Amino acid sequence: MSSIVSRRAREVQPASRARRRHGWIGLAFIGPGLLLFLVAVVYPIFGAVQMSFFHWQILAGAVSEWIGLDNYVQAVRDPLFWSSLLNSGVYMLLTVPPQIVLGLLVAVLLKRASPTQPIFRALFYLPVVTSWVVVSLLFKYLFADQGLINFTLHDFLHLMSQDVSWLSSRWTAMIAICALGVWKGIGWSMMIFLAALQGVPESLEEAATMDGAGRWRRFRVVTLPAIWPSMVFVIVLLVIGGLNVFTSVVVMTNGGPADATQVVLTYMYQQAFKNLDFGYGSAIAVLLAIIVLILSLIQLRVFRDRSEVAS
Amino acid sequence: MKRSLVRLAAVLATAAIAVPLAACSSGGDTSSSAKQTVTIWGSYGNGGNSAQQDALNKTLIPAFEKANPNITVKYVDVAYDSLLQKLTTSAAGGTLPDIVRSDIGWVPQLASLGVLVPISDKMSGFDGLAKATYPGSLATNKYDGKYYGLPLDTNTRVLITDQAALDKAGLTAPPKTFDELKAMADKLKGSGTQVFADSGLGQWNMFPWIWSGGGEVTNASLTKATGYLNGPKSVAAIQMLVDMYQAGEIPNLITGNSGATSTQDGLPKQNYATILDGPWMKSIWKAQYASFTPIWAPVPAGAGGSISVVGGEDIVLTSTSKHQAAAEKFIAFTQSKTFQIDMAKTGQMTVVPAYADAQAQLDPTYAIYAAQLKTAKARLAIPAASKVDGILTDALTPAFEGKVSVKDALTTAAGQIDPLLTAQK
Repeated sequence: MSSIVSRRAREVQPASRARRRHGWIGLAFIGPGLLLFLVAVVYPIFGAVQMSFFHWQILAGAVSEWIGLDNYVQAVRDPLFWSSLLNSGVYMLLTVPPQIVLGLLVAVLLKRASPTQPIFRALFYLPVVTSWVVVSLLFKYLFADQGLINFTLHDFLHLMSQDVSWLSSRWTAMIAICALGVWKGIGWSMMIFLAALQGVPESLEEAATMDGAGRWRRFRVVTLPAIWPSMVFVIVLLVIGGLNVFTSVVVMTNGGPADATQVVLTYMYQQAFKNLDFGYGSAIAVLLAIIVLILSLIQLRVFRDRSEVAS
Repeated sequence: MKRSLVRLAAVLATAAIAVPLAACSSGGDTSSSAKQTVTIWGSYGNGGNSAQQDALNKTLIPAFEKANPNITVKYVDVAYDSLLQKLTTSAAGGTLPDIVRSDIGWVPQLASLGVLVPISDKMSGFDGLAKATYPGSLATNKYDGKYYGLPLDTNTRVLITDQAALDKAGLTAPPKTFDELKAMADKLKGSGTQVFADSGLGQWNMFPWIWSGGGEVTNASLTKATGYLNGPKSVAAIQMLVDMYQAGEIPNLITGNSGATSTQDGLPKQNYATILDGPWMKSIWKAQYASFTPIWAPVPAGAGGSISVVGGEDIVLTSTSKHQAAAEKFIAFTQSKTFQIDMAKTGQMTVVPAYADAQAQLDPTYAIYAAQLKTAKARLAIPAASKVDGILTDALTPAFEGKVSVKDALTTAAGQIDPLLTAQK
């Protein structure tokens, strides 16, 4: 943002004194946010990286023992770390595509102005702004043995021959957790796509129609390329968000039964704050950060190449 | 622009991962004038319970301050779920209060961090006060041969059932022994009521069965679990539960199904015939199931008798406290009959057996708990206690599901617990 501000300043007032003054004003604008970012985000990141190389003693003044990469070696050899990483990955894979497809579908359906459109937009966005803890509790009750899901599928629709004990085994519990993730996330991607769809030039759509393109073809060759940058934005953020799943797991299963639904962040939290092994917890956090960073860079590279080919 | 925004967002979101590790701490009291202020952290108000805080703030603390005019006592209520985290982050920042009302399971952990004072070494009158309490409760304060606190309030688990379930099983009294429990399970088969339910496989859940079955968890000096936790009597006690589980007589709530009906709902609704639970259940049911009349009885006895597990809180003194003498005075005050009985009126059971009669007059249910407490034992008093629960749960779950034998599961668990026992100094 600062680059825009200063560029504007250059265009309007070439005098160097004015430019300097504008520089200070710009700094004053980003200052508070930057300070908060440095103190609340950057400093703790470096703190976590530092901790991960120690057998960390949390007590003020206590001497922590430098153990090099031992915490990382422990993580690599820890089957629970791998199974939690797998769970996080599965969650990401099962929640990102539905959020994109359904979010885009809803956005397309709600694009055209109609009297009910604002109501539906608000309804679809409502889950996004509700508290994670509240909706996680809600889904826990929905998927309980005596919950509404079992009642609907078994007693009401007779789709299942017996009740399923959803939260009592790994994959059925992951399905419940993923269902919550998708339900809560559709509104967010819908909002981004809605904004992007407003920017698709109508002239292009009309031209395509005149050329005889059907609805699906119009969507594929006109709409999709036009909203592609937003699509990349949504995919990258959803992948990061998916790997960072935490609250819903803590509330719905707390990593159980027997650590079967532990995800990386709940496992990290357990190591750091329950077992007070801050060094190991930090190492897990750093490993996840590295994985997420690599994944994000790969995605940006792949999607950039593709958009260059497309253009 | 858009791409850089994406990249910035990616970096920001990545950064957010580390944020949970950056919990903040809050300040403590450091003034040291003639008038001293002793600060206490506790979780009396957990779950919106104002009766206990009121007794403390409106009756007991004023009484103490009147007797000790130069001491002011300030109680700070912290939600139970965040108390340990607040304590550890405050320990890291050097901002602990003078006194903590700590869960009994945290004392060895906090002591091993060096944030507590071994009051058995320095507090005057400690021996007399310690001797007056239940041995099982006192043991939870012990770490590395020293006592780091005194019991403050206590509880244990007893068998709770209801008349309708007994009628269904054709019984006139709650099951007194393992055999009677097994017979009850057979009678209830097909009735829609499961004989027993519990919500986990940790120490709190499993140890009463092991001890009552005549088994042990570790040797007496708390240095070895192998040979004890997987001893024949321990295995037999758990095997009884596993057999019932596999016969469908115990619900998968015990193996961690968070979607199962809870014990507090399942007992009044007759999903479950018996549960093990604490004295707090009475007020919970009073509010939610007004017509339900629970029946309280000792834990069913096996070869080892009827032995339950100790719960409750200890009162500990922090090593960073600048008013240790004043804090010790208050700690001694918490052991007085006034304090213990006033808190018993609000549901906190006394740790002093000599006051049990006075307490039983407040509520006859307390008599059953007090009797059970006489033989109740403490969970493993080691810094890594929270890991033990995870180890037991992860080892026993496949045993309940029939994937491994109970003997193998307990041998695995014991093998993992052994190094935790020897790790302590």
